[in-house]
Amino acid sequence: MARTIMRFTGVGGQGVLLAGEIFAEAKITAGGYGLKTATYTSQVRGGATVVDITLDDEEIFYPYANEGEIDFMLSVAQVSYNLFKSGVTDGGTIVVEPNLVHPTDEDRKRWNIVEIPIITIAKEEVGNVITQSVVALAIANTFMNAVDRQVLLDTMLSKVPAKVHDVNLKAFDLGEKYAKEAMAK
Amino acid sequence: MATREVISSGNELSALAAADAGCMFFGGYPITPSSEIMHELSDLMPERGGVCIQMEDEIAGVAAAIGASMAGVRSMTATSGPGISLKAENLGLAQMCEAPLVVANVMRGGPSTGLPTRVSQGDIRQAKNPSHGDYRSITLCAGNLSECYTETVRAFNLADRFMQPVFVLLDETIGHMHGKAMLPTVEEVQAGIVPRKEFTGEPSEYHPYGVGDDEPAVLNPMYKGYRYHFTGLHHDKNGFPTEEIETCRKLIQRLEDKVMNYTDEIELNEEFMCDDLGADDVLIIAYGSVSLAAKEAIRHLRKDGIKAGLFRPITIWPSPAKRIKELTDTVKNVLCVELNIRQYTEEVERVSSRLDIEGLYKVNGRAISPYEIVAKVKEVF
Repeated sequence: MARTIMRFTGVGGQGVLLAGEIFAEAKITAGGYGLKTATYTSQVRGGATVVDITLDDEEIFYPYANEGEIDFMLSVAQVSYNLFKSGVTDGGTIVVEPNLVHPTDEDRKRWNIVEIPIITIAKEEVGNVITQSVVALAIANTFMNAVDRQVLLDTMLSKVPAKVHDVNLKAFDLGEKYAKEAMAK
Repeated sequence: MATREVISSGNELSALAAADAGCMFFGGYPITPSSEIMHELSDLMPERGGVCIQMEDEIAGVAAAIGASMAGVRSMTATSGPGISLKAENLGLAQMCEAPLVVANVMRGGPSTGLPTRVSQGDIRQAKNPSHGDYRSITLCAGNLSECYTETVRAFNLADRFMQPVFVLLDETIGHMHGKAMLPTVEEVQAGIVPRKEFTGEPSEYHPYGVGDDEPAVLNPMYKGYRYHFTGLHHDKNGFPTEEIETCRKLIQRLEDKVMNYTDEIELNEEFMCDDLGADDVLIIAYGSVSLAAKEAIRHLRKDGIKAGLFRPITIWPSPAKRIKELTDTVKNVLCVELNIRQYTEEVERVSSRLDIEGLYKVNGRAISPYEIVAKVKEVF
């Protein structure tokens, strides 16, 4: 596969870091290389956070996404959307939480902006807001087909306590369902 | 070499290396971006029969670690630049007493509290001379995830061999990046451990500092019947303070020579695509996480028909002076890339006797990208 670069952005405390780790680990398990880097501010909560995920069959040296080379971005906070959207390649996909992120008209022309209410899904349909990172994980992989679904699912389950496997599986399924619906539009 | 694949972060790998290398004591105080080292060791140390203690501050953290080292076990502390500033006085004590110690420094933006969560390589000069007086720093610098492990292991072995603190420099990027690392097996690491020397003769004949002119002290573990003294003052063969002229001179000269006469045992470098470099090609010198961008840049440059290679010191101090001189004598176009302003460039200038070394520097807490290096090479050469 060619290099896949994804970016998850939010604000500190939302749990976007874990999704990146799961992606990198799943790719390595499936065979290949994966790197996750996180950049955050010194604020404990509320600071703009960005996670870059690079997946490749070849060895990856530089771990950050280069400006303009990101294939897919997912954002659940306006502040970090504004700061980090410029990294996405023209025509690339940006999934936003429409209750929290409001792209401009120019943004909609430049990128394939997809609105999925990630946090509402986690909070109301799954019943646990913490599962938003798993909803995001499933959405990203449905769009990008970056890692074998089963490997990703197994890796995700290995990273969360057994007692919450069921809710996380539900979050994963819902993420996939919403992503497929959005892609069909 | 047998290897195993581990998926982890640089900080966690450094902690794992400490445990595998036989570290039995960690004393420290959490500080971004190094905290995960302590966090991980707070699990690993008790599991392996060791102790991990969070002290009241950075100074107490290193003091506790030095105390454990004096007692005879492999010991470590971890911090970031501001922590090294606080620990400086005690690091001088460890140099003077010849207490072996591993000090991991995960570099962030400075000076002072600087940019707590962001990457930097601003502690290169600090690592050379964190405190006053004459002694030689041994400083290693991890340039990828695997080296966060292997260089920490090497630091423990060098600390016991040379009987002094050894720095392992990581930076925020390397410490926090998460991915695949190929590591030596635990058995291999353990087979490579050479414990510090121990005197086994009559206690009355034991003189811990009464060693050869370029040999490290022989510090026996405590509570085994060998009595001696630790002090930061100039001291005699038994460790007691003295101002006797020859004893003082020989002590400090020995601290210098025990390292500088044996740099072959300490030096380690990587040369990436340097084999075919001629006079008109490009030599990039970089270390730590910046070397990752440099490798990527070299791939791009070579695709564009520009022959470039990377020289990466893994042992930063003492610097690999002879090899830098050889390479900079051969290649005309030399570019140092650092997340500081000229901290290692000045060493390259010194050892190469050249003042035309080009530099690319960044000090705003952001990484240098491969494309910035490509652009700089095309601009200046």
